[in-house]
Amino acid sequence: MKSPFAQRPLLRIAWVHLFSKKRQTLVAMLGVMFGVTVFIFQAGLLTGLQNYFIEKTVNTTAHVHVYNEVRTGRPHVLARYIDTNSRWIAVRNQKPRDEERKVKNGNQIIREIEKDPRVEGVAPFLGLQGIYRFGMSQQAGTLAGVDILREDQLFKVKDNLIAGDMLRMETMPNGIILGAGLADKLGASVDNTVIVISSKGVSLDMKVVGISKTGITLQDNTRAYISLRNAQRLLQQSGTYITDINVRLRDVDQAEAVAKEYQERYGYKAEDWKASNANVFGIFRIQNLTVTFVIISILVVSGFGIFNILMTIIYEKMPDIAILKAMGYRDRDISQVFLIESLAIGSTGGLLGLLLGFIASKIVGMIPLNIQGFVSVQYLVINFNPLFYLAAFAFALVSTTVAGYFPARKAARFDPVEIIRSR
Amino acid sequence: MISAQNVTKRFTEPVEFTVLDDISLDVAQGEFVVLVGPSGSGKTTLMYALSTLDTIYDGAIRIDGTDIRSLSKNQLATFRNTMIGFVFQFHYLLQDFTVLENVMLPAQRLGIWTEEEMEERAMQKLTLLGVADQASKKSNRLSGGQQQRVAIARALINEPKILFGDEPTGNLDSKNTSIVLDILQELKQEFKQTILMVTHDTAFAERADRIVSIRDGRIVPTT
Repeated sequence: MKSPFAQRPLLRIAWVHLFSKKRQTLVAMLGVMFGVTVFIFQAGLLTGLQNYFIEKTVNTTAHVHVYNEVRTGRPHVLARYIDTNSRWIAVRNQKPRDEERKVKNGNQIIREIEKDPRVEGVAPFLGLQGIYRFGMSQQAGTLAGVDILREDQLFKVKDNLIAGDMLRMETMPNGIILGAGLADKLGASVDNTVIVISSKGVSLDMKVVGISKTGITLQDNTRAYISLRNAQRLLQQSGTYITDINVRLRDVDQAEAVAKEYQERYGYKAEDWKASNANVFGIFRIQNLTVTFVIISILVVSGFGIFNILMTIIYEKMPDIAILKAMGYRDRDISQVFLIESLAIGSTGGLLGLLLGFIASKIVGMIPLNIQGFVSVQYLVINFNPLFYLAAFAFALVSTTVAGYFPARKAARFDPVEIIRSR
Repeated sequence: MISAQNVTKRFTEPVEFTVLDDISLDVAQGEFVVLVGPSGSGKTTLMYALSTLDTIYDGAIRIDGTDIRSLSKNQLATFRNTMIGFVFQFHYLLQDFTVLENVMLPAQRLGIWTEEEMEERAMQKLTLLGVADQASKKSNRLSGGQQQRVAIARALINEPKILFGDEPTGNLDSKNTSIVLDILQELKQEFKQTILMVTHDTAFAERADRIVSIRDGRIVPTT
């Protein structure tokens, strides 16, 4: 027998049906292909960027961040003595208490955390708002008072420097490392002297010893590193004053547990990196939802394409269905023919889609873009996770099977007598 | 071979109408029976009931001792596949399939023979019907008479106990009609094939062993 499917007449019938409708079959296939391509491309692009951001975040923010959470709002002092349920009380113009942001015994806590085997590095931190001035230009920003060697251990300060030398922070009493965007706005470069003014009104002359670019735009545009001592001077505080302790762990995934433990042990707020970046993860969730929705819509549309072609075939081939039933083919045989057809369209379109999605991702990944957004990247980072390919293909098969199911069931339920007698 | 007892079929839609009114009929093994009657008399309805395609009626039909309505849908399909061959007014060959493939379809459903055996049997039937030389052609390339002969070959491939026909010569010219009638006669005489056909062609009816006349859903004496 010449026919490759002679043993399996159902396959052969399905094959002949699809070939008798070449153009429609092709269009249905392209629909699935397009859906899968978009799936692969979108998922790869989005998660690629997200993973890149997470990686950057993991490298640039503390895995666990210990700080003194200052609650500025406080209940009226009278409320302590008067039952507010039965009486109105009013205290006007109550000011926030002068609560210190200071982490007491900071140095001792650091020494203790350092001994924790899960910890890779600990660094003290003193954050403050300040104004930078360089000649006529003036910028507001945040100042990070750090122990630069410890900071480097945590956040790879040295690797992010695009100009200058980190070690001059140690050798120079008034060194400052500016974020790249900030330096740009100020017009300052290495060895220039910028003036830093704090909210306490203290101003210091600082010498630019380095310019740093982390890739996280917000940080690069506003932040500068100064020494812990200078930060304390700007706030008119003693040498033990720190506001935050940053911890880097050997295993990032332990952050949540470690944070909880430290919060209980030291009585200060301890936050893991996911909680610190909760807003960003919230945006990711919305992005993922949007893309999922787009992908589902495309696959639903391609499902309609398959439904359409199968319905056309079924009505055209009604006599075939009738005679097959008359000669003893079962309802299930008939529905199988059409399920085979939809699966053939789905799997072929799906495979083509995987290939095209892969190629599209590769090509886009090669185009230099230099995006300055949330994070700054030169090339789009695309995730080639094989799981996406698997999921996209499975999704294509499922949606085409669902689209094929109803026509197949309809064909199986045709009454051959009605068809034959109506001719 | 076929035994129908008190078969009654009513339609309630659009108006109440009795298509088959208490019909009892026996067809013996090897008998060639034709059902005749004016259109709307119920002869075709009776044929579809007798041939298991229609199972909605009152009364009982047995084929080879099996009560048709005791079978499930799947069992009915298998029953048709092994016991019954059909020839309709229209040939119902699958387009884009070769003649040979078309003839083999019922055998492939049956699935008891090897590919070679199926092919051999198909060729045998095609030879019997004088269209063996067309075997490798696409079915839609054949003339109407040839197509109907291929349809008969397909009906015969599983060696059915009964061959049913619904106006099998209705679309054929007189020459092809007589060819088909000769073949049916030959099947009856040489292979003792039980045949039950619906027709209103008198030439056809004359070649049968027995003519059953139906009028208004009842069997009436042949005039």
